[in-house]
Amino acid sequence: MNSVNTPSSIRVLDERSDQVWTKGSGKEFVCDKKSAAGSVTQRACAFCGSRVVLYPIADALHIVHGPIGCAVYNWDIRGSLSSGSQLNRNSFSTDLAEKEVIFGGEKKLKASLLELINFYQPKAAFVYSTCIVGLIGDDVGAVCKQVTKETGIDCIPVDSPGFKGTKKSGYQAACEAAYKLVGTGDTNGISKYSINLLGEFNIAGEAWMIRKYYEKIGIQVVSTITGDGRVDDLRRCHGAKLNLVQCSGSMTHLSKLLKDDYGIPMERVSFFGFEDTARAIYAAAEHFGDPELMRRAEELVRDEISKYAPKLKEYKKRLKGKKAALYVGGAFKAFSLVLALRSLGMQTVLAGTQTGSAEDYEQLKEICDPGTVIVDDSNPLELAKFVLEKDVDLFIGGVKERPIAFKLGVAFCDHNHERKIPLAGFEGMVHFAEEVANSACSPIWKYAPRRQAKALRLPEPEPTAPLACEGGAA
Amino acid sequence: MVTQLEQPVEEKATEKKMRKVAIYGKGGIGKSTTTQNTVAALAEMGKKVMVVGCDPKADSTRLLLGGLAQRSVLDTLREEGEDVELEDIRSGGFCNSLCVESGGPEPGVGCAGRGIITSINMLEQLGAYDEDEELDYVFYDVLGDVVCGGFAMPIREGKAEEIYIVCSGEMMAMYAANNICKGIMKFAETGVVRLGGLICNSRKVDREDELIQEFAKRLGTQMVHFVPRDNDVQRAEINRKTVIDWNPNCPQADEYRTLARNIDNNTLKVIPKPLPIDELEGLLMEYGLFN
Repeated sequence: MNSVNTPSSIRVLDERSDQVWTKGSGKEFVCDKKSAAGSVTQRACAFCGSRVVLYPIADALHIVHGPIGCAVYNWDIRGSLSSGSQLNRNSFSTDLAEKEVIFGGEKKLKASLLELINFYQPKAAFVYSTCIVGLIGDDVGAVCKQVTKETGIDCIPVDSPGFKGTKKSGYQAACEAAYKLVGTGDTNGISKYSINLLGEFNIAGEAWMIRKYYEKIGIQVVSTITGDGRVDDLRRCHGAKLNLVQCSGSMTHLSKLLKDDYGIPMERVSFFGFEDTARAIYAAAEHFGDPELMRRAEELVRDEISKYAPKLKEYKKRLKGKKAALYVGGAFKAFSLVLALRSLGMQTVLAGTQTGSAEDYEQLKEICDPGTVIVDDSNPLELAKFVLEKDVDLFIGGVKERPIAFKLGVAFCDHNHERKIPLAGFEGMVHFAEEVANSACSPIWKYAPRRQAKALRLPEPEPTAPLACEGGAA
Repeated sequence: MVTQLEQPVEEKATEKKMRKVAIYGKGGIGKSTTTQNTVAALAEMGKKVMVVGCDPKADSTRLLLGGLAQRSVLDTLREEGEDVELEDIRSGGFCNSLCVESGGPEPGVGCAGRGIITSINMLEQLGAYDEDEELDYVFYDVLGDVVCGGFAMPIREGKAEEIYIVCSGEMMAMYAANNICKGIMKFAETGVVRLGGLICNSRKVDREDELIQEFAKRLGTQMVHFVPRDNDVQRAEINRKTVIDWNPNCPQADEYRTLARNIDNNTLKVIPKPLPIDELEGLLMEYGLFN
């Protein structure tokens, strides 16, 4: 690794060359493929995917059927808030060890479920399968059935052994599991103007902000799936008249099931930035076709924008011309970020996602500026390369990207599910601008060795730490 | 000042080397029966032998123990935790043979392969193979084919050094034997395991003797013994005994004595050369259809 002294000496792996694309290059771009060997992918496993999706259902019991290490992996990292029950924040596990691997873990799972259900009286229980359970072939479905029968509490198996695939296949397993509850509740009292918010995880209370917008204009929110989620809301969510899907990667499958079986139409929305938030509110109002709804929606948007726009202007002055890199889970979030950054006068020079689909990338390619690099399933070394090459001022990503930015002496903004500040909606945009401005305009960055060298026109110093291992440690 | 170093104690001149044998073969071919009858004959010759059953059904030592229910290593481990004594899991059988059953899960649950790994590790920890046990032989009786990594445990890492494959002149038994040879070949490249030979447990198919001899030759090995089919084996089993124990004077008892002697005298240990399937089928045609 000691040969890494300039960005150009970091090579993109040959197998990955078609997953890196520069706008204007005219080259072919490929996505949705397996991670290349030797590339430290930032993707996670199926177990991780199913867990992050279902975990915010607050009054359910979540139990990991596997070795204790799996129970710790990804535990409570999501900043999803609950307005009541905190049961979901426990990481229950069957703690499988050698004995259960040999003799099977079904008995232990049943005993654990019975004990926990008896003690906590949850509304439902989700049982996550890990790799080892997939291997030894425990019949988790049968155990769940037995316990459901004995306790009267719905126990739902989540078919999520890690080796099944990436996070994406875990999302699918999570949707299948959640869907088992749908249709089991009473839909009385649901308004003709009603929605479900899918793929909204109530990070730092964002679902509450968004819910308020709709309630203000007269649209009932039947359920938020799964942020501040409740089992009973899921049971009756089939009574809603429209599904708004925010995190499309995780929730498209559930919305498709709801569409096929209950005829509920779906619309993709985003609540990031003024433009997208306004569009999302109008989309629902327009769908129901009531002029009164539209009038109230316009009023709400006008009020909010006039309240927050002046603040944004302040930040825009400070941020104008700065360059940003972003690496996120799915591409839909990336569009919103590109637009939001543009509204702050910033330019996105690198945009990447872990698991974006071809359709997503087409849109992303369209809205990006010429010269912008788009990467699929990237790795820390590659990201570092482009951050240096493009000399970015700000990196937006998640916990795995943070050390890349900081080690290179670049400002960082956490836009993943671990964050504690609400960034959605009109108010959230101001928080975003504030965070970006505070970080990107901090005087500290000019003391980064790379920048200092440039200011003094010295040869750039060699990075002191190897770049390749940073992501894994996070 | 020269310190006189103490002379190292002379190794015992008659240091015996324990032979580690594993018996593989198609399911139902008679591995457990052949193993126990052979062990009975070796024990009768005065050899000290330990049998380790590597089958979740835990029925590899029934004839040596006279039907005594043997607590398996894994059951003991499950019920009593790590605090296990060798005596809890090892019983004395016919002619001072030592019997161990690895055991495993009920059909359809858990991972029996992992069980074999755990069980053999446990035996090692408890000193079942230690020199002061003065074993001449350890026999592993392994279920069916080499089904997964766990069941290959006896031939990995030198746990077993000599493999004997029980087969017959029936096609599927030879297929299985050929397959097991592939497994041995894989581990022989990195380890010490070798094929000692084929044991033909006769099913009375045409020209079985010649067929298996030829098959063995093509694999690069030998037929150690041709064990004829005899109802005395069945009769002894009904009495929960090995043939030698049940009726030491019957001809079948002598067959097992010969087999035991051949194994005891065997020096031919090879890395097998498994046959391509068409060659194996050609062999069957040549011998099976000849009339």
